[in-house]
Amino acid sequence: MENKNNNKKIRSKHLGAQFWKEFSKGIIISNPVFILALGLCPTLAVTSSLDNALGMSAGVIFVLLCSNIIISIIRKATPAAARIPVFIVVIATFVTILSLVFQAYIPPLYESLGIYLALIVVNCIILGRAEVFASKNSVLLSIGDALGIGIGFTLALVIISLLREILGTGSLSVFGFQLFKIPVLSASPMTIFILPPGAFLVIGLLLALFKWLGVIKSE
Amino acid sequence: MASKILSNKIYPIVFLTIIVLISVSLLIYINSITSPIVEAQQEAEIKNMLAGIFADMDDFKYEDEIYIIYQDSEIIGYAFLATGKGYGGKINILVGVDKNFAVEDVVIISNTETPGLGSKITENSFTDQFKGMAAEDIALKKDGGEVDAIAGATISSKAVVEAIRKAMVEKINLLEGD
Repeated sequence: MENKNNNKKIRSKHLGAQFWKEFSKGIIISNPVFILALGLCPTLAVTSSLDNALGMSAGVIFVLLCSNIIISIIRKATPAAARIPVFIVVIATFVTILSLVFQAYIPPLYESLGIYLALIVVNCIILGRAEVFASKNSVLLSIGDALGIGIGFTLALVIISLLREILGTGSLSVFGFQLFKIPVLSASPMTIFILPPGAFLVIGLLLALFKWLGVIKSE
Repeated sequence: MASKILSNKIYPIVFLTIIVLISVSLLIYINSITSPIVEAQQEAEIKNMLAGIFADMDDFKYEDEIYIIYQDSEIIGYAFLATGKGYGGKINILVGVDKNFAVEDVVIISNTETPGLGSKITENSFTDQFKGMAAEDIALKKDGGEVDAIAGATISSKAVVEAIRKAMVEKINLLEGD
């Protein structure tokens, strides 16, 4: 009896460690944007302001979490031949729910995210996690994976949008509140950073920076 | 038993069908909750825009694609949507006319024209020109009308002008036919 309890304890401790491992890896070691270089299209498109980046991140975390949970639950019943269509139906369902809810309750965010909200369906981060992780692992670990990758995605989007908004407008605001304004820069901001070329510049330089840091670390 | 079901040839089809059915019913349910909210918002938005054109409006009615504007239960004007094909895509315009069919004001609701050039069609310096005009005056100056085109954005300007005139002629015919 005691032995059994002990086993259970060890197992739950083990599970906790595994959960933590899957959760933490998504944030830095396999950050979806900077390390795996996945989901770059929405990243380029929505990082023109911090508000958009946060809205998009919340959407991706919601869809990733829900789809990982469902796909993990049905993983044993899912026939291999039909798995990709099944994944896409599950993901598309949650994306549609999200866009209906955004449209009804947060219309300004819905307007500014535009087509990119619907395009979460084809965000390769989500389909990638379904295929690589959720379809092979338990529900608990899939939740950890979804949260980790989701927070990693958020972190990347926030860093990029902070740089773009500050350089491109000379000020920073969150949900309509202006946090600060840089006197000289806001008078003649580098508008290019708000425009699409600025997205490429910022992401390219950040990718180079992280690659360089990674190389230094591994040496 | 379980492996027998899983290896059945039609199992993938059945499984996918069930998933799609669940998904569709869930979406129908959520849509039934959110669609009234979205409709109410759109109506509030239209009302705001109409109130921006007709300051004296206290009520409006939507009939045959025309908004009929009332003040103290009397018709003070009409508003309707016009759609033009611009340089970058569709331009949606709300046109308000008074009861003698002269333009009260026009509002560019949405456009995808070039930022900084064609997008100037939304500015008051362009839209204010239309105020008080009758349908036959609405044409660019080079086409014998009264409207100044925006420099560098002739296609966008022309699209707006043509759309407004076409919609006005059409709706006025409809209203006079009554």
